Amino acid sequence: MSNGQIWETRPLEFWNKAKELRAGWQKSIESKEKVVGQGNTFDLSFDWQAAFPALTIIEDNPVGAMMQNKNEPYARKARLASEIRGWGREICGYQGNCWGGQFLGYIEDGTPWPRRKFVVPMPCVCDQHAKRGQQARDFENMPQWMSDRLMYFGDYDAEREVPMMEHKVYCNFRQVNDIERIFGQRFDEEECIKLMEAGKETREYSKEIAYIMARTIPTPISVKDMYSVYTIGGLTKVDPAATVAFWKMVRDEIKWRADNQIAAVGNERFRWIEAHPPSWHYMKYYRYMEDYGAVCMGSQYSNGGANNYFMLPDGTFELRTDNTYPDDMPLETREDVLRKGAGIHARPTGGFKTDEYVYRDKIVQFAKFNQADGALLAIWRHGVGCTLTRKEQAMYLRDAGLSVMHYEGSQPGDRTDLDEKRLLDQLDTWMQSLGLRKSQK
Amino acid sequence: MDFKALVENRHEYAKAWKAKTGGKVLGWFEPYFPEEVAYAAGVLPVRVLAKHEPDDVSDKWIYASCYPVRDMVNQFLKGRYDYMDGLVNVEGCQWMYNAFEVAVNNKRKPDLFDHYFFLPDHTDAPTSKHVTRSELNVFKGKMEEWTGKKITDADLDKAIEVYNKNRLLLKQISELRRMEKPVIHGAEMMNIVLADQVMDKAEMNEILEKFIPELEAREPGKDRIRLMLIGSETFDTELEELVEALGGDVVVDELDNGTGYYWNNIIPQKDRLMAIGLKYLGRPKNPIKDNNWRRRPQHIFELAEDYNVDGALVVKQIYCHLHGTDNYAVWKILRERYIPYHFFERDMLLPVEDTTLRLESFMNMLKPGINHLAGWHKVFGED
Repeated sequence: MSNGQIWETRPLEFWNKAKELRAGWQKSIESKEKVVGQGNTFDLSFDWQAAFPALTIIEDNPVGAMMQNKNEPYARKARLASEIRGWGREICGYQGNCWGGQFLGYIEDGTPWPRRKFVVPMPCVCDQHAKRGQQARDFENMPQWMSDRLMYFGDYDAEREVPMMEHKVYCNFRQVNDIERIFGQRFDEEECIKLMEAGKETREYSKEIAYIMARTIPTPISVKDMYSVYTIGGLTKVDPAATVAFWKMVRDEIKWRADNQIAAVGNERFRWIEAHPPSWHYMKYYRYMEDYGAVCMGSQYSNGGANNYFMLPDGTFELRTDNTYPDDMPLETREDVLRKGAGIHARPTGGFKTDEYVYRDKIVQFAKFNQADGALLAIWRHGVGCTLTRKEQAMYLRDAGLSVMHYEGSQPGDRTDLDEKRLLDQLDTWMQSLGLRKSQK
Repeated sequence: MDFKALVENRHEYAKAWKAKTGGKVLGWFEPYFPEEVAYAAGVLPVRVLAKHEPDDVSDKWIYASCYPVRDMVNQFLKGRYDYMDGLVNVEGCQWMYNAFEVAVNNKRKPDLFDHYFFLPDHTDAPTSKHVTRSELNVFKGKMEEWTGKKITDADLDKAIEVYNKNRLLLKQISELRRMEKPVIHGAEMMNIVLADQVMDKAEMNEILEKFIPELEAREPGKDRIRLMLIGSETFDTELEELVEALGGDVVVDELDNGTGYYWNNIIPQKDRLMAIGLKYLGRPKNPIKDNNWRRRPQHIFELAEDYNVDGALVVKQIYCHLHGTDNYAVWKILRERYIPYHFFERDMLLPVEDTTLRLESFMNMLKPGINHLAGWHKVFGED
């Protein structure tokens, strides 16, 4: 089988803008004037923290991933510090890195650890998320606020939703009020409304991007490229208007590329998916696979927009009902604003964790949506939430005709147990067993 | 009464119960499961206990779970639990949740009833009790639909009465372990609690009511090193038996399926479901439910004080992330309160030689400082 170039490919033009926005965020978290919190919190689908005048949130997951990605000796030292304090094997790498960094008192470039003033663990079905706030609170003696990732099985259930929604709104309401009281900052409801609107616009672009990406052959963008920008406006917090403008730019460019058959991978002949984050310290495997003409379409984790589509019996795809209230919902009080922000459903809809847990075979729909031929499903020894359903998903994918391969490691933010050479050998075997050969360079 | 035999013969017991009553058996996984509601519907709630046997089937379905969960999945896939008519899981440990899902999804029994009960992990919010009550009401409806029996207030009252009595009896036995020379040791106690979780509570109450006078009539045991067991759930009594063989005694535990199972009772109120909900929200916290305030370490300390322990065994199942994340706070309070402890990891099987050596070493370390072995108890006329 020939593996030469089939389609034209070009560098992405939104790249530089992404770098600029990312640098701005980095500068903002280094600012001394702000209250720095830890966590993502509130289970709100928009950048709520910007409604406070001087508050920045740092999330453990990207920080921990970045520590491992940028500086392996430092990440290892951090995990050692974490182990000495009582956490060792089987602890999520993101947490091991971040807790260790906190104990060491500095970050990977040697500058002081940005001390948090409060902590709000992101509500998640992952047990490690639920427990991650306490040690930070114990160590720094700072406030912590909790909430729940509300869950049930089956279709929407109005009876179960009502008290769950009250619980969700109460937790969010209390957190906002307490932060105001403790840190002397006023929560600006008008700003919050703007943030919500921006969040909604961004989500619309995200759905469109996911659709174009999945349904176009050759795909105009791979997840390898998407990972460079996908946190912008979310974990990488930037101005709401700039966020919307950025994602419009991304959508426009991807649409143009799709219309003109500009490929992410010029020799695309095999599309594969994943299930969770990649090994952040070893993203080389994406490019390695591209030598075989194999392009990664991402995962239910990376492609949030794709989770909004579901497959009809005739094989076509339709958008799910959005979890947002109508635009003209009256917003007269803080409670109104927070209720709107919480969405219509207490149980998140279209979230990859909900899909993974409640609709285990939804990954098959994701694969079909992306016109995938195979799946590479990592299984992480230290990542309970990253691993839980992986074997079962593999069975469903195989039943649907996909070729599936697993590889093992510690956790996306912990390089310890990942045998990189073995992974590449496995990939070679997998690809070659499917009749694919590396392109001649 | 041979409680260990009751545990070992639990499958036969449940099958016989079904044959006798024509009722349904509902398997449950998580210790926060409100059994009272199922019991009120005439159902037999049975705890799914892990039992090790060579596992050649679970790897297809799960990866890296703790070993009890793997063993549960192994058992489900091999049909050991085929007599169960339904399964219910309560929001809690994710590995346990996965065992529940695999048991349902493998389609071995297509007509298996299943339900997921959301009991908030954040148990401390004022709204948590309303969510729990609502979930209880939903579950009550599911039970009514499944069994075709309307659950009345009188049914709930009866179930609450039976379960409260059961917990009181277990606590009554547990109190006897506070004696200087307990008449019941850790292995037997754990077997009682495990048997309790797989039997009809009314029947178990009769057994316990007869057993307690027998217990009180026993001759006090000999002086033993008093240990506390902390950590992941246990599904057999191998460790307790090992401790006893070495001259020690697990006089109290803090396990979810040990003292946690019977420690607090339902305080009756007109709104029965709220009363049940408050009991489960207020039970001794396991790590996932203790994710806000730190209540668990203090509870451990109080048990250690009340049961006059000489030391503690902190035992974690490999891959138990929740205990792994909580342990440092437990170690901290033990250190601060001068309670010696020994930590180790285990799976379903204990490596006997290794564990014996380590336990013996730990217990030898404790001996010189143990006041009750030096005869202080005699001052208070306990002999």
